[in-house]
Amino acid sequence: MRPSPKLHPTAWDALVVLCVAALAIALALFQWRGGTSQGLTAVVSVDGTEIDRVSLEDAAGEKTYQAGAYTLTVEYAAGSTRVRTSNCPTQDCVHTGVVSRGGQSIVCLPARIVIRLEGGAPDPDAVDAVLG
Amino acid sequence: MKLTTKQLTLCALLTAMALALSYLENLFPLSLAIPVPGVKLGLANIVTVFALYALGLGEALLILLARCFLGALFAGNMNALVFSLLGALSALGTMVLLSRRRALSIYGVSVGGAAAHNCGQIAAALLTLGSTAPLYYLPVLLAVSLLTGGLTGLASACLFRGLRHTDLMKG
Amino acid sequence: MKRLTAYVLLTVLFLSGCGAQMSPDEAQESIQVIAMDTAMLITTYGERSPAAAYACEDVIRDLEAKLSRTVEDSEVSRLNAAGGGAVEIGWDAYSLLERAAAYSSSTGGAFDITVAPVVSAWGFTEDSFRVPSQAELDRLLPLVDSSQVSVTPSLDSNGDGPKATVTLGPGQAIDLGGLAKGYAADKIVVVLREHDVPRANINLGGNVLAYGGRPDGTPWRVAIQDPARVGEQDAFAGVLALTDSFAVTSGGYQRYFEQDGKTYHHIIDPATGYPADSGLTSVTVVAALGEGDGSGFPGTMCDAYSTALFIMGEERALAFWRDEMMWGEEGCPFDLVLVTEDGRVVVTEGLADRFTLEESSGYTLEVVSP
Repeated sequence: MRPSPKLHPTAWDALVVLCVAALAIALALFQWRGGTSQGLTAVVSVDGTEIDRVSLEDAAGEKTYQAGAYTLTVEYAAGSTRVRTSNCPTQDCVHTGVVSRGGQSIVCLPARIVIRLEGGAPDPDAVDAVLG
Repeated sequence: MKLTTKQLTLCALLTAMALALSYLENLFPLSLAIPVPGVKLGLANIVTVFALYALGLGEALLILLARCFLGALFAGNMNALVFSLLGALSALGTMVLLSRRRALSIYGVSVGGAAAHNCGQIAAALLTLGSTAPLYYLPVLLAVSLLTGGLTGLASACLFRGLRHTDLMKG
Repeated sequence: MKRLTAYVLLTVLFLSGCGAQMSPDEAQESIQVIAMDTAMLITTYGERSPAAAYACEDVIRDLEAKLSRTVEDSEVSRLNAAGGGAVEIGWDAYSLLERAAAYSSSTGGAFDITVAPVVSAWGFTEDSFRVPSQAELDRLLPLVDSSQVSVTPSLDSNGDGPKATVTLGPGQAIDLGGLAKGYAADKIVVVLREHDVPRANINLGGNVLAYGGRPDGTPWRVAIQDPARVGEQDAFAGVLALTDSFAVTSGGYQRYFEQDGKTYHHIIDPATGYPADSGLTSVTVVAALGEGDGSGFPGTMCDAYSTALFIMGEERALAFWRDEMMWGEEGCPFDLVLVTEDGRVVVTEGLADRFTLEESSGYTLEVVSP
């Protein structure tokens, strides 16, 4: 049994509040500078098999992937990616444009290449699957 | 730990109250305003803090364990037990330490308890998920705990004030 | 002051609403599969999630090998090349032909696997699009006739041998593409149950199986693509909250070509030989998981009906829905989301509380009761 606690806020309470706030800010800074592997990552696969994994945290530049008769040039930027060129007949992959959130993907069916984004900031509005 | 009948009854009542408070706080749509998993008012900490001062560490621990187990049982979700135990124990531990500092008021203790509760829950998530993803939510949860801790501090202060002149506080 | 505090606290306590709890997650496995001319994503949860996910892939590849029109020695290809001769088929093809006949009958011919030669004439099979002449269509339309598909079950249906013998009418060809993914989804349910998978998110190129719910206990969020904004990311007509359900969407916008200023899409009306012009831009069919013992085929049904109802148009589709709800022998109740050309989203009553209209799409919501 302890003596009754003080029932009105004191100056020392402010110290507790400051400590918690400081901890929150420190954690936020650490996370959002993207030092972790949970950042947004583009996973490239051919026919289901992963062939490349690119972190989009500080990415810049292009990579070329070849699958069978098809060659795709993929442009990587901080927080997004897109297929810049492709020699596939329907160009669906190029027309998809830029993807920038976990769960989104670019598909080139003739080449059987899929670029899928994983990780990144969790989005409460994100859907789990798209019909049609 | 020997408890008098009066103490035992008080413990049982407090456990029931803690369970009721946990259930009630689910009705408050905090997660609509702050869409982070695990965000809640943490009203059960009021009971923990009261038990700590009125009865003592042993009884507070007993009530805490009872309400975590019963809570998980009633919710039909034993998986959530890890979360609620780690959160509640962290809160109790922190509040024990903070309550030793006479310079702190109940508000400081409650805020510390709320912050520790969230840390404990995130720790549980890190363990079960095996990834560092839950840490992403901690800054927001900590910021929220300043408010929820203040709220439970306010409620606890009212409680203590009201009971000051009864012999509940005298064991 | 005390009263005010009390009131504030009371208000805080008694506002109603719902809170989400963070819950522990299980192991999960996510694999990408390119099959049946589409990209599929299989995500399973639980201890046996990797084994389950790969078993799902096996099911898909196995069905593709047996049923695909573009795989040379699949059962369907051999049947199409047989020129009227008898071809022996296995259990899966047999099941599907039986289902196809049933759906053809119940939809009054809107669903018809024998429309394949016409679809080919438009170039959709080989991606070499062209507009066939009326004369060509007149010649091909008589071939669209499910009654000429003759299926004779084998006497020995318990062994490992073929389950049936099939002959097509002269010049006919069939395409099971309108059923295959739905059927794969039905088989995947069996696989998931066998592996004690608590939840899974299976997307077979737009055929979705929402198995269980999300790890946090809420239903899977399945969005319906807005047919009017196909190029955009995250452009939805609405979002469905589904647990233990199949959902399939068909729409002309999924595959089409333009010629001389006109748009021609791939959903060919078996009655006219032309792309269906029914006033609908997309049809989504939603059904609950069956018992998983292989008796009902809700996934296959959703796949077939989504195409058929798109062809039938709003009025016939809703009449069909009402009829099936009352007299359907399957015990497979289903619900619909129809997106119309005049800017409405029509949802049948059973889905009303699981569907959320996407405000930015600009559609108006209509709920239909039986």
